[in-house]
Amino acid sequence: MSERETAQAITDRAAAWVARMDREGHDPAVRAELKAWLAGDDRRRGAYFRAKAAWTMLDRASVLGAGGGPSGEVAAAGSARFPRRRLLWGGGAVAAALVLGVTGMDYLTAPDQRIQTAVGEIRRVPLSDGSLAAVNTQTSLDVTMKPEVRQIALEAGEAWFQVAKDRARPFVVEVGDVRVRAVGTAFSVRRTPGGVNVQVTEGVVEVWRVGDEDRIRRIAAGTRAFITPDEAIVPVVAANEEIDKALAWRTGELVFDGDTVADAVAEFNRYNVRKIEVADATLGARKMVGRFRTNEPDAFARAAATLLSARAVIGPDRIFLSRKTSAPATESK
Amino acid sequence: MGVAKTNVVNREKRAKIMAWVGREILPHEADVRAWLRRTLDPDDLEDVIQEAYCQIAGLKAVGHIRSGRAYFFTAARSIVLMRLRRARIVSIESVTEIENLNIVGDEPSPERIAAGRLELDRVRRLIEGLPDRCRRIFELRKIEGLPQREVAERLGVTEHIVENNVAKGLKLILQAIAEGEQSVETKMTRTERDERARNSTSDH
Repeated sequence: MSERETAQAITDRAAAWVARMDREGHDPAVRAELKAWLAGDDRRRGAYFRAKAAWTMLDRASVLGAGGGPSGEVAAAGSARFPRRRLLWGGGAVAAALVLGVTGMDYLTAPDQRIQTAVGEIRRVPLSDGSLAAVNTQTSLDVTMKPEVRQIALEAGEAWFQVAKDRARPFVVEVGDVRVRAVGTAFSVRRTPGGVNVQVTEGVVEVWRVGDEDRIRRIAAGTRAFITPDEAIVPVVAANEEIDKALAWRTGELVFDGDTVADAVAEFNRYNVRKIEVADATLGARKMVGRFRTNEPDAFARAAATLLSARAVIGPDRIFLSRKTSAPATESK
Repeated sequence: MGVAKTNVVNREKRAKIMAWVGREILPHEADVRAWLRRTLDPDDLEDVIQEAYCQIAGLKAVGHIRSGRAYFFTAARSIVLMRLRRARIVSIESVTEIENLNIVGDEPSPERIAAGRLELDRVRRLIEGLPDRCRRIFELRKIEGLPQREVAERLGVTEHIVENNVAKGLKLILQAIAEGEQSVETKMTRTERDERARNSTSDH
């Protein structure tokens, strides 16, 4: 190495390496080769990391897929609504208080597939083992298919899985320290700040916490379990109709049946950048019935207004629901 | 690499750091470059950028970093100063220039709300700006989520061609990131031309 490699040459090689790893990164020989290349120079490690970060960032484009369901419309409806003094992509809140312990080289073993959805986006994603994932709004998950196990790491949000039968290769969803294992079945997993909600629509899944493998709970079709960080025993609850209703998002719908306005609004706000605000608690506590598209908060607001003799002020960035007397004198449609 | 369980945990952490770099570091690269350009010649600049990324790659956690932008500037600055001490690159007046750097802190919050949307717009434009075949491959790989093997099948080309186009497209995208926002498409064509002029190696 008498001649110093130019920075441009390094950048180009790094891009070529990311492309190669994307194609055959599962091959240990290729990984070893990459490691050897990286070991040559700090600049190579930097250039590879940069190229890899750019490549990973492009996964955001999955939102743009037509897919099934209303994702396309939602994405379109959401655009061009924000003031842009200047275009910047940064700024998403840094996930708070990450307790991390990663070595610099760890990024070399990437998952097979990362699925991310934006606000309001719902995607149906076929997995390479023949399973199907329906991925709900604001969700991030990693798929890693290994010879002995099919691993899904759910980082945030909610997904429903229809698992292709493969006795030799269990299908395991990891949510923090909670594990949900299925062989051939269909179930959903949602990560919330308060805990992990598992709902089973077909067959049986097993749920446990890492380190607590003695206490595996079986959850059958038509039941659900909510696993909180402090409860040792996972309670299993019968909830057949509730599950159908709760999973209506898979077809881009929200179904309410005796839910409060406040709960319905919280659901809509999961799917839309244009948030609904409810002016007072009395209105929020009223119960209602209805079936709506996830991406039509305005339709919901109008229906709620009619149903409950309230007033809906539908603005470009937010929707305001209030009782008739206390409506603010802002824009109206 | 240790037991499977450790790998799972590490993978989650890695994915988080990688996503953070896409959100908080890459968008500011053009600004860091613009600032470095005032004092460094292009080759040294490239070295500093790569070393800064190497430093970022070694991060074990990002939760403590309030502003990726400020972190990036600081990293670049310390690398320049280190090189300066080794008398490798810059002239004396650049020292004051660098010492006087005011690091721009956090972005205003209203824009943060829209950041996810803007990031998406940006990614879309990066892909749309690619030459035809590259773009088609990136769409299948990134929008439809097909692995390279299936992209090759779908387009009736060899996997090798797909891989080469991924490399080529990624190079163009990295250049667009280096040059920053404004019109990505025109920059793409320009940088592609520049690249050909500067670098005679073929990428086909």
